[in-house]
Amino acid sequence: MILLLLKILVFPGILFLVVLSMIGEYFDRKVYAKMQNRMGPPWFQPVADFIKLLAKELIIPKNADRKIFKALPLVACSSVIIAYLYIPLWRKESIMSFNGDIIFVLYMLTIPTLTYSLAGWYSRSQYALIGSMRVLTQLFSYEVPLFMAVLAPTILASSWSFTEVINFYNAGGSLWLVNFIAFAVAIVTLQGKLEKVPFDIPEAETEIVAGSFTEYTGPLFAYFRLAMNMQTIAGASLVAAVFLPFGYGSFFIFNFIIYIIKVTFIIFLLAVIRTIFARLRTDQMLSFCWKYLAPIALVQILINVIIKAAVLK
Amino acid sequence: MKIIDKVINWARLKSPWVIHFNAGACNGCDIEVVAALTPTYDIERFGSILRGTPRHADVLLCSGPVTRQLKDRLVRIYEQMPEPKFVIAIGACACSGGAIDGCYSVVSGVDQAVPVSMYIPGCPASPDAIIDGVVKLLKSYEDSLKQADEKNENGK
Repeated sequence: MILLLLKILVFPGILFLVVLSMIGEYFDRKVYAKMQNRMGPPWFQPVADFIKLLAKELIIPKNADRKIFKALPLVACSSVIIAYLYIPLWRKESIMSFNGDIIFVLYMLTIPTLTYSLAGWYSRSQYALIGSMRVLTQLFSYEVPLFMAVLAPTILASSWSFTEVINFYNAGGSLWLVNFIAFAVAIVTLQGKLEKVPFDIPEAETEIVAGSFTEYTGPLFAYFRLAMNMQTIAGASLVAAVFLPFGYGSFFIFNFIIYIIKVTFIIFLLAVIRTIFARLRTDQMLSFCWKYLAPIALVQILINVIIKAAVLK
Repeated sequence: MKIIDKVINWARLKSPWVIHFNAGACNGCDIEVVAALTPTYDIERFGSILRGTPRHADVLLCSGPVTRQLKDRLVRIYEQMPEPKFVIAIGACACSGGAIDGCYSVVSGVDQAVPVSMYIPGCPASPDAIIDGVVKLLKSYEDSLKQADEKNENGK
């Protein structure tokens, strides 16, 4: 009981996730800076930003709904943390699991996006309102390809549980390479989920000030930023667990290092995409996701069904 | 000073987020501010990033001699920023009115509208001068904190 509580609160749980999210943000910004041929922020930058925001004055707009305005950042943080507890990291089992936890994790990672939208809605500010509508529009474009891409590997494994999917691909040798197309789709849609360039339409600072977070100050904004960073780590862990199911040996240290390398690799990909592209328009994003990403994910599902019917039997 | 205050002050010194506001400038200083934000000058070394909204910002980079129409808006932007906040006047016009001091439509200088912590002269102020100004502002903030601390200890 105490061990489980420690696991949830400290090591593969909340504290570890917060530390890892800070390191992830630093790595992302440093890669971004290096690709622009500049030095970039010092190593303590995410920590300094977080502490500074926590210590700033908290202003709640007069027209905003006080209770919901204050509660939303914590809802975003806690839903990401819950999702993270169900993702297997360096062991085949996660801290908590049940049959069908992949679906559960995907839905828990959708809740922060909804809170971003509600945050804009309850701020009662024009820019925040436009931002919140854009968040929802974007949600409808990337969510379906993401779900299809993440659920494609589970067709071969005939299970919606992380542990069984990982066990299946470990037993199947290099069968996980089949899912390469879905991996690419998942990375692109994850970029949309995290609202980074080229899919940063909801908080396009050159158009609509700061999107749905326009009215958020100090500590509440710090928690939203933290939720965003934790979402990066949780999303990367999800993609790593489903698409890169290797390195679950008997040595703890090796497994841990392999897990870190996987997450770093995915954050690196996200940072590179962020650097080399410019922002899309809303209609371009919608047509790109529905005309290209969704059919590509369908092709992957088709390939997996054929392999399952013809080869695996 | 307690440890927690020290940590907070350290964090404030290490992450000054800026917002840029043009209060009636000729756009010369604004181009220099934008130039200071480019990868060539890389202000992210000091933890500085440009925010779109005053709600997230710590430092208001204000250029221009503050026209009478814009004065209320400038005050409103300033009041929307959460404490602790600083204003930097960029360019000769923002410092004192510059070439158009005394004109019927301007109030001559940012300090006529909101309290200013740092003046950066120049027509226009170069990006190097702007970055130097932000760094010196942080230094002076640190010094003022130290002085207040010493005063408190002597008082006890």
